[in-house]
Amino acid sequence: MACHSPYRAAPHMNAPPDQGFLWNIFQRVDKDRSGVISDSELQQALSNAMFDRENKGGVNFNEFAGVWKYITDWQNIFRTYDRDNSGFIDRNELKQALTGFGYRLSDQFYITLIEKFDRQRKGQVAFDDFIQCCIVLQRLTDVFRRYDTDQDGWIQVSYEQYLSMVFNVV
Amino acid sequence: MAFSGYGAGPGGAPQQDPLFGYFSAIAGQDGHISADELQRCLTQAGITGSYQPFNLETCRLMINMLDRDMSCTMGFQEFKELWQVLNGWRGTFVSYDRDGSGTIEGQELEHAITSMGYHLSPQAKNCIMKRYSTNGRIRFDDFVSCCVRLRALTDQFRRRDTTQTGNASFHYDDFIQVTMSI
Repeated sequence: MACHSPYRAAPHMNAPPDQGFLWNIFQRVDKDRSGVISDSELQQALSNAMFDRENKGGVNFNEFAGVWKYITDWQNIFRTYDRDNSGFIDRNELKQALTGFGYRLSDQFYITLIEKFDRQRKGQVAFDDFIQCCIVLQRLTDVFRRYDTDQDGWIQVSYEQYLSMVFNVV
Repeated sequence: MAFSGYGAGPGGAPQQDPLFGYFSAIAGQDGHISADELQRCLTQAGITGSYQPFNLETCRLMINMLDRDMSCTMGFQEFKELWQVLNGWRGTFVSYDRDGSGTIEGQELEHAITSMGYHLSPQAKNCIMKRYSTNGRIRFDDFVSCCVRLRALTDQFRRRDTTQTGNASFHYDDFIQVTMSI
């Protein structure tokens, strides 16, 4: 009963974006104009550990440029599933997106997912909520895979292992 | 989906229960409350005392902990149950918050977890402590969030530990759904 390998859509090779355009985006996110986008500004949507090379607790402009590709990859995915172009993904669109990634989750569960990630309380997920949801799913999958040594989609864990697995991610 | 151990049936009319006043004032006609209504209800009923009110995410967790029909809402019986549980956790927290600062230390969280009956390895406790502390201290809201998750995860684990040996099997889809909903 394998088939549990979700994957992100292959990123497209875009031409490097215009620097002026990037700077505008950067400034919009860097609300306190410190020249650094802090953790709270970037929110949990992006995994700072991936981009903050000097462990400053934030990313400077150069590092942010590296973040940009990551964002545009996610944007492309989001736009693919935001079929009505509302800027939000509703329950059905979320289901299509995650099913497209390879997850098999019950309909009832999507109600829970929206409830959990819908920060704007609209009954739908915005772009940043969507990213966070996908990142958490990915991290849970990674931790599951580490324990699934024979790759059959099943793990057997002790109570302590289970708690450690989960508290490391959520 | 039978579920034992969640309190006896209704004893005495709910209308006589002081908690019912707080609950029904917010629940309205359908007799259920959502996460933001729970936040208001608990604040008004004074469970947090002099501590900060619960944030919305913690309220969502509390509803999820008792949400058997996966409706993402809570009825009065569950609210009562939650109230008792919260009182217990608050008592534990207060006993460690000796200076009344509204926070406890990481070490104290580990002691509190053990005193609540969870027997975890130092690594597991350390992991939890890191997850819930801000600058080495844990606020009441985060403490409750931790307790809710511990309780919910333990319930989920127990249901899958069919041989009662402290080991459980999870299929991937199940693991994702259980963990993501907590």
